[in-house]
Amino acid sequence: MNRIVAASKKPAWIALGIALVIQTGLISIQARRRIDTSFVRVWVLDSLAPVEKLVDRSTYAVHSVWDGYIALIGVHGENQRLKRQVDELQMQLQQHREDILELQRLRGMLSLPISDVGKTVVARVIGRDPARSQTVTIDKGATHGVKPDSAVITPAGVVGRIIHTSNFFSIVQLVIDSQSAVGVLLESTRRQGIVKGTGGRDLDLDYIDDDNDLKQGDMFLTSGLDRVYPKGLPVGVIVSIGPVRGLLKTVQIRPSADLGRLEEVICFIEHPQNVDVVDPAQGASNP
Amino acid sequence: MTVYPMARTSTLGIIGKFAVALVAVVVIQGILSFKFKVFGYFDLPLIFSVYYGFTLGNPVASIVIGSSLGLMQDSLSAAVLGANGLSKTLIGFCAATAGSKFAVDQAITRAFALFLFTIGDGLLVTILGLMVGPASGATYSGALGGWALSATFNTLLGLVLFEYHDRWSNATT
Repeated sequence: MNRIVAASKKPAWIALGIALVIQTGLISIQARRRIDTSFVRVWVLDSLAPVEKLVDRSTYAVHSVWDGYIALIGVHGENQRLKRQVDELQMQLQQHREDILELQRLRGMLSLPISDVGKTVVARVIGRDPARSQTVTIDKGATHGVKPDSAVITPAGVVGRIIHTSNFFSIVQLVIDSQSAVGVLLESTRRQGIVKGTGGRDLDLDYIDDDNDLKQGDMFLTSGLDRVYPKGLPVGVIVSIGPVRGLLKTVQIRPSADLGRLEEVICFIEHPQNVDVVDPAQGASNP
Repeated sequence: MTVYPMARTSTLGIIGKFAVALVAVVVIQGILSFKFKVFGYFDLPLIFSVYYGFTLGNPVASIVIGSSLGLMQDSLSAAVLGANGLSKTLIGFCAATAGSKFAVDQAITRAFALFLFTIGDGLLVTILGLMVGPASGATYSGALGGWALSATFNTLLGLVLFEYHDRWSNATT
């Protein structure tokens, strides 16, 4: 450039004059509006706009790379932290849901008319026999007053009885266990009988005074005669009545309590003292 | 006169580099003003006009550079075509004249010149715009404050760029 400058022999004033004339002429033309000068802008725009666009695209690309990659440094850690937070919140939410359900169940338990049968304790089912699935483990034991042959129920019905206790835990034999039997009476006719576990899902009617008036849907209640379960607790409903086998019809009873979804149970820590023994002869006339 | 091919290539290369530099200055000014609102207070073409006026020491080259920068600036803006061209032409000439007669290597001199040139540029462009015809509803009540702010920004940026360019030029020569 210096050589160009050095080679320039024209006076600066002439160059300035020419430049000023050109610029002033442009301004003057625009003021009079006689000649359209937009072509100058068009030329310059057409020349410079692509460069601007290229630069803009480049900066946009750099910006995108920055935003999409470089600026994301640390986002992975933040993402992990947020995931952990979401997991914790989900766990808390689940716990709150469990608490609500537990509260509902406990409220149902408190509404049971069992105040006349002695003290009870609410226990949580913490385990199930993995082999037979007819006993469950609860988190209350001898220190809580739980004794063998204590009745275990839910608001829906009879669950079973305590067969083993430790200091803090107990084993409950479910009514569906094949070694279990419950003294029952038919809710509608007050006829007494005995139901036994089958080892499966349902109970079998082992004995009843008269099976002629049995029908599907009838409810069996505890009779209290076995001195384990207080009288009047739901045991189950008749789901099927089959042909006579031996002396009685084959009657299958579905337990009222959902024994497959036990979570909290009520355990009687005092055996009922005054069992209302129902006279079989007066059962039908004294509901 | 004998023209040597190597010399012609070198001259064209220098001119090309200057052209690219001038285009880059205007484009960068437009991009930055678009991306960052505060950059609207800066005037890179003015700073470069002043700088080349000071350093080249030749009024003709400074006039061409200022005129080109101003004209491109006008074309990419809503200003009257020729307003910035005229203003930058005068600034380039004045800077070159001052550079040849005064010591403009000092920061205080450069700062003073940049401030005055910015104020003068704003005043001249505004006057020329008013001569052609003001936009309806346009007000100029805050123009002086805007010029002062722009002059301050240009002075600060100009000093930084001048210093950087001086060091770069000394390192390469």
